[in-house]
Amino acid sequence: MRERFLVGFDPFVLPFLCGMVFVLAYCLFYLVRILAQLSAEDRKKFFKSLLLPSNALKNIRDMFLDCLIHVKLWKRNPNLGYMHSSIAFGWFMLIVIGHIETFMYVPGKAGLFYYPIFFRYFMEVDNQELKGSLLFFLMDFFLLIVLSGILLAMIKRIWRRFFGMRRTTRLSITDHIGLYSLWAIFPLRWIAEGFTAGVAGGSFMTIPINMLLKNFMSNPENFNIAWWLYSIALGTFMFALPFSRYMHIPAEILLIPMKRAGLKVYHPRKGFALAQIYTCPSCGVCIDACPMSANKQNCKDTTVYLVRQLKRNNARRMNAMSNKCLMCGKCQEVCQIGLQSYDIRMNIRERARYNIQLKHNYLASYNPDIKQAKVLYYAGCMSSLTPVIGRSIKKLLSIAKVDYTQMDEGGGICCGRPLILAGKKAEAQAMIAKNTEIIKASGASILLVSCAICYRVFKNEYKLSGIRVMHYTEYFNELIKKGKLPITKGNVRYAYHDPCDLGRGCGIYDEPREALSFVGGLAHAEKERAMSVCCGGSIGSLTLNHEDRKPIVEASISNMLYSNPDYIVTACPLCQKTFSMYSPVEVLDFAQALCNGLQEKDVN
Amino acid sequence: MAENIIIIGGGPCGLEAAKTLRDLGYAPIILEKKQELGGHLRKWDRLFPEGVQAKQVLKELTSGLKGIEWHTSVDIETIEKSRKGYTVTLSTGVSYNSPALLLTNGFKLFPAEKKEEYGYGIYDKVITNADLEQYFAKGKDNVIKKPKTIGFVHCVGSRDEKVGNRQCSKVCCATAVKQACEMKELFPDATIYSFYMDLRLFGRNYEDMYLTAQKKYGIRYIRGRVSEVSEDIDGSLIVKAEDTLLCKPLRLKIDLLVLMTGIVPENSSASLAQQLNIELGEDGFYKPKDTILEPCMAENNGLFMAGACTGPKTIPETLSEARAAAVQIHNYLNKSWISGIL
Amino acid sequence: MDFGYSLSKSSTMKIENLENSKFKALAKLEPDATKCIGCGCCTASCSAGVFADMSLRQILLSLQRDCQDKYLPMLQNCMLCGKCMLVCPRGINTRHLILSICKIYGIEQ
Repeated sequence: MRERFLVGFDPFVLPFLCGMVFVLAYCLFYLVRILAQLSAEDRKKFFKSLLLPSNALKNIRDMFLDCLIHVKLWKRNPNLGYMHSSIAFGWFMLIVIGHIETFMYVPGKAGLFYYPIFFRYFMEVDNQELKGSLLFFLMDFFLLIVLSGILLAMIKRIWRRFFGMRRTTRLSITDHIGLYSLWAIFPLRWIAEGFTAGVAGGSFMTIPINMLLKNFMSNPENFNIAWWLYSIALGTFMFALPFSRYMHIPAEILLIPMKRAGLKVYHPRKGFALAQIYTCPSCGVCIDACPMSANKQNCKDTTVYLVRQLKRNNARRMNAMSNKCLMCGKCQEVCQIGLQSYDIRMNIRERARYNIQLKHNYLASYNPDIKQAKVLYYAGCMSSLTPVIGRSIKKLLSIAKVDYTQMDEGGGICCGRPLILAGKKAEAQAMIAKNTEIIKASGASILLVSCAICYRVFKNEYKLSGIRVMHYTEYFNELIKKGKLPITKGNVRYAYHDPCDLGRGCGIYDEPREALSFVGGLAHAEKERAMSVCCGGSIGSLTLNHEDRKPIVEASISNMLYSNPDYIVTACPLCQKTFSMYSPVEVLDFAQALCNGLQEKDVN
Repeated sequence: MAENIIIIGGGPCGLEAAKTLRDLGYAPIILEKKQELGGHLRKWDRLFPEGVQAKQVLKELTSGLKGIEWHTSVDIETIEKSRKGYTVTLSTGVSYNSPALLLTNGFKLFPAEKKEEYGYGIYDKVITNADLEQYFAKGKDNVIKKPKTIGFVHCVGSRDEKVGNRQCSKVCCATAVKQACEMKELFPDATIYSFYMDLRLFGRNYEDMYLTAQKKYGIRYIRGRVSEVSEDIDGSLIVKAEDTLLCKPLRLKIDLLVLMTGIVPENSSASLAQQLNIELGEDGFYKPKDTILEPCMAENNGLFMAGACTGPKTIPETLSEARAAAVQIHNYLNKSWISGIL
Repeated sequence: MDFGYSLSKSSTMKIENLENSKFKALAKLEPDATKCIGCGCCTASCSAGVFADMSLRQILLSLQRDCQDKYLPMLQNCMLCGKCMLVCPRGINTRHLILSICKIYGIEQ
């Protein structure tokens, strides 16, 4: 093996070289920028976590599994997984082996960016040796892998269903440039290496193509054109990269350790959020997952498009999109890179201006007379519109002989979550403080909450040390398991709906199911637990109107009816009210379902 | 032999149409889903505005059915359209042919449980207008025991997007006025409140009824829709509403709450519409060929409809429509025979 | 000349020359602003209404009549809990309506 030219340079490498330098400079600039945008505390946290050896190992593992192999995509759909990992891992291997070759044969040129990439142009084989052939074989093998991935990518543009996707993202112009140049890179490489295969040697991919098109390929005039085209394709891709979705390739390397450091989003498009925005590959998995996109509506308001507007800093669209969102958290659950869309949207909402100074002065004069009891029950605003919930809960509590009292009989103070969801976190503090005061004064050891929306805020925003905040599904499940509730199992089948704030919001999936299994059978919904579909009534959405919500609700109901249940059961007054509007099957509250399982003699 | 005409629904509308058709020389066949003829009229005690006994009207309608074939507890399996008209097959396997088909399948009272915040089915002291009529008819009830304060809630399941019914049910305002007066007759010491959004007393003498309710019976009309109902410790109800004319929210403790459930399409309407290819309005009632000129005729040939299946109607309106539909069927058949279509 | 009568401001509303460009802007931002039938459910069920004056129905009507100054400060009591949204028979998106009113009319005192 020897060099073909004394000067290890040819002008055709320039497009690639410029592109490469540009990408590196751009990434470096943004790396510094993102790190600079972090608060001093976060930055310290980040570097500390980077240096921890166990974290470093985990980061490398994640980078390998997520960036190269795309394990999450494999789990989602094998075709989609193969397409991504063949391109990512194949290309990665081509680069790695290119470098190995350079190191082995021309260590002096290893410092040149372009040399390993255009190795076959600059090198010539004099006699085939085993080591060389093996490397050549590997190179051709990985080229084949990448080409197969590219072929699948082309198929994906026309046949999405094959990859388990109903809708994909509409690409922007730079995305298109990136996409087509990426598609062009590998076939051009194949042709270019096919040209040189006659002199520089090759393997099972490149030699046949050289032989097949001998007349054309042996013409040295065409020789350079092919290499030029290959380099231009690479250069184009590199120049398009920072402005297209392919920015996720370098960005993910930063995001993985940042996530491990446990950073929090504090601004919709700065610091940690910016790293996430760049890492979004625009795959569009969130479009299908979004409950708003039922009936093909609101697709343009899903997270992937929000990210695009964040990149463009389009304030009007950013606000509109974040205000429309149901805040159900599903897109975050399905997201391949774990984009924290919920936090990003909350940050956008917190920055919205409404020209109002809320004055909740009246809270000070509110001092309800609450009798001392072990369990303090907070029904929440919505529960007064669904009297069956309160009634069933009180019935169960008295049967179990629980010493309880209600905190908001006849109307209490809002838990504060609706205000937080409207971006008024500071204003919500007044309510949080007052409720905390009332709860602490009650002397209760358990705060029982029947509304999933309230529960989430009590759990996450309130500081109630010494008081156990329990959702009624948790509490009654415990009572049943302790044998305090004499219930029997009937032959009815319940389909349990996971309220967003309870399931994805607080991770409670098992308790309600376990409790329900004591009174009847469980009928599976098509999508449930972390994948459950928002009922459509969420107060998380500020701008979706009653009529806009109808298709969302109906789609969610049909998800619940997947295995023909006798009842739909939910554990949130809002879900119950929303479902009841359109459901052909009766919708029960969780406590109501438990009451149905009470043994007759205890009911009277 | 007289030509058969199938009528689906044996309420006031179906009965009146059958009689008219018989008098015009046809042999009507009434198919009724329920065990008895008469429809919702069976559940009612007196009718507004004069307070005529519903029994009287029912007796009038269900007597003199000579020449009319009727079947109750009927379950329709399929309806097929042919060139000669319609073939209706029952679940028993029996089938009937008819050159024209008349739909008089009426309405359904809004199921008050669906308006959960009013607590029907949860609180004992919440009843519906239909429950109250039953009480008037029977004279006894487990819940109604010398109520001191009674509330009537208008528009339950009507004019309410949240239960999917935008339409006004038309007859409940008059019914509420009538029932409030009747309650005052029965319980002269009781105070009666009526919560309304708009009082729609459109018919002849209805306004007089309203005036009597105010003047003679002292019914207190409050313009405000009840937003929620809760139960007090002593078992009485607490009603929340806003007195919108005084601009003050109010809470009222009462012993009995009567929900004026509205008129919604009968369950069978959707499936019949699908089988017969009739368009349904957004409200779920059948859409006639023309709401002004042809309110009793469907787009499809030989298909007619009358009564509350095309929207809320009073009984006299229903009966007039029944007669109109019968005459239209007669005209349609005459024309078809002359032109040889049938 | 003095006839002994003093002029007091007439309590009659003059509505032929209403300044309603702001209301139009509101209706554009939240189309539900024109849907109210004044049933009073929002006021009756209001969580804040238990403690202080709050009537979305009155506020909305005052905006339509351009006499909102007296009514708008009520919005400062709102907890945005969304109960009014659930009880509204016209399905008005009350929470967004409230936020939109604030945005357009502004209540900062």
